[in-house]
Amino acid sequence: MEALALHGVDIIFGYPGGVVLPLYDEMTRWPAIQHVLVRHEQCAAHMADGYARSTGKVGVCLATSGPGATNLVTGIATAIMDSIPMVAITGQVNSWAVGTDAFQETDIQGITIPITKHKYLVLDVDDLHPALVDAFHLANTGRKGPVLVDIPKDVFTAMSSVPFPTEIVRRGYRAAAATNDTAIETAAKLVAEAKKPVIIAGAGVVWSETHQALADLAAKADLPIINSLLGLGSIDRQNERSLGMMGMHGEAVGTLAVQEADLLIGIGIRFDDRLTGIVAGFAPNAKIVHFDLDPSEFAKVVETTLCVPGDLSETLPAFTAAVAPKVNDEWWAKLRGWQEEFPLVIPDSAGLMARHVLQMLDRTTNSDAIISTDVGQHQMWTAQLYRFKRPFQWLSSGGLGTMGFGFPAAMGAAFANPKQEVWAVVGDGGFQMTLQELQTAVEHKLNVKICLVNNGYLGMVRQWQELFFENRYSHVAMGSPDYGKLAEAYGVTFFRCSTREDLESTFQQARAADGPVLVEFLVEMEENVFPMVPAGKANDQVQMDPGLPKDKAPMGIPA
Amino acid sequence: MRHTQEHTVTALVHNEHGTLNRMISLFRRRGFSLSSLAVGDCEEPGLSRMSIVVNADDNMLRQCVMQLEKAVDVVSVESLDGKEYVHRELAFIQVEAPPEKRSEIIDISRVLNCEIVHLGLKTMTVQVVANARKIQGLIRLLEPYGIKKIVRSGTVAMSAEE
Repeated sequence: MEALALHGVDIIFGYPGGVVLPLYDEMTRWPAIQHVLVRHEQCAAHMADGYARSTGKVGVCLATSGPGATNLVTGIATAIMDSIPMVAITGQVNSWAVGTDAFQETDIQGITIPITKHKYLVLDVDDLHPALVDAFHLANTGRKGPVLVDIPKDVFTAMSSVPFPTEIVRRGYRAAAATNDTAIETAAKLVAEAKKPVIIAGAGVVWSETHQALADLAAKADLPIINSLLGLGSIDRQNERSLGMMGMHGEAVGTLAVQEADLLIGIGIRFDDRLTGIVAGFAPNAKIVHFDLDPSEFAKVVETTLCVPGDLSETLPAFTAAVAPKVNDEWWAKLRGWQEEFPLVIPDSAGLMARHVLQMLDRTTNSDAIISTDVGQHQMWTAQLYRFKRPFQWLSSGGLGTMGFGFPAAMGAAFANPKQEVWAVVGDGGFQMTLQELQTAVEHKLNVKICLVNNGYLGMVRQWQELFFENRYSHVAMGSPDYGKLAEAYGVTFFRCSTREDLESTFQQARAADGPVLVEFLVEMEENVFPMVPAGKANDQVQMDPGLPKDKAPMGIPA
Repeated sequence: MRHTQEHTVTALVHNEHGTLNRMISLFRRRGFSLSSLAVGDCEEPGLSRMSIVVNADDNMLRQCVMQLEKAVDVVSVESLDGKEYVHRELAFIQVEAPPEKRSEIIDISRVLNCEIVHLGLKTMTVQVVANARKIQGLIRLLEPYGIKKIVRSGTVAMSAEE
């Protein structure tokens, strides 16, 4: 506990059990550290994750040995895929019983090797403090990530006189690759030569808190900024140079811009397949420059003209200083044309659609709330329609794509940011995976609001079955309980809305209510997310929204 | 499919709980094809040095070195491609050796600088220290006598300092 306090930990999300009893006993003597008793350990990890994504600080979760530890696994895997700083502490059976198949023993170290940045099994109490100090350091430096510390029961109770290490020396650990001034100068030259430059900014900008440098760069060299899914918030969406998200369901302008660009600068992104489509068809005319602190990302997916290694907090301001001011008027004229021709479509239908709900969420909260999502259609619509203003405002499982993430992540954010408005946008599928945490939210009178977009389907899977499996819907229709009764049973404030007329007033009532609020929106059942680059296709195969106002070719890029 | 060939890499690693497990996991997860792995203590207490032979094309090799360097367990990585380096593997080959065949096998062993490390009533065990290709050659020469068992250490390698 002393180690945790030393690291400024103010909250732990956990669940007690046999072997962590000594730690839980000690906890009673540390009132400054709040413990949140979850209803399932997976949610402890997601809450720690949401805490981290909304603050930039390390989230801490705690579970007992065996099933407690294995229940954390999905949450840890979610965190490693999105490079989230997290320390997961697990109890282990007594050190002398390790390896004997003791009650509630599991090899959590072995299980989590591929999904942790690093891990410790502490067999000697003298190693405990150094291990915890290392764990926090590793989790929150360089390419961030989850670190597991597995502690046997007898190590919790043993005493150590070893003082806390004051200096962290881990040989061979380099938080970020060394910077290279020549690479930065070359990149600046490429910007000067380019006629159709674009930037794709990712979560690296968020975590290095270099959003201001990015905005300065965009302004100085007149560069359009596209975001990856997790890069949303790295530039104010209402900044005139922000083009929104690109990728499988990104805005058409971003996808088209990258197809035509002669220079593509990736900043703190990892060229995920949902962004690039088939790599052979990605940015066919562009020189690609890649800024990242993790050199193992260079040329992992796409062939790169120039790699700029180093922490963005150093390289991005240097790059901004190095580029010459310029304007790209012709290029912008083309981009604006695409924006006009292929806007996001919000149908003016009589019935309530998910897009109406999410657009209203953006308007009613003034684009200012912390927003989490689950995974699927509602996630893509939120990413498209919510105009994020700043880093640490957007919590979504981008890499692993974890259903059930949204609600507990929002709770973690609400614990960390009690004064801010926090919304979990979830579907009826994902919400049913982790809704037991309603009880946790009620007990803490947590100000978390749930925007439940209920279309009675696993919508994204249904969309794929419609488009790629000839409408054969296989196991995607999803029943739900009566959410009104469910909310009542938990003691959660509840609203239901099924018409466009009631949309604004429902949001207003929900926003005015204190404590946890569940709002169910009964929406059109078979709404699709567009634009869409079908999986396994190149980005020039983007399918535009068939509901576009003008008579545009719905398939492929018009000549 | 790009051209793959064997590359030798050495890594200095922390000798901690689960280090080897994590290294192996990295190779498995990233789909790097491991031809040989040998680990042992080195000149520094608390650290081990691994000799890794990986079958890869140039890009995979680069990825492999990068991923190794990124692992927190790893202190440093050296790719020996294009460098001068020494490398050897040790193998025991137990071969059927009735008394009338013994001298032939001893002759082969002598020519190839191998040692007979065990002589039984019906078998002999030949020890060979060489590069992998030479060991393969010896195995071919001994096959006609009937090989009962082979144990190989994996390649150890070291860059040659001036």
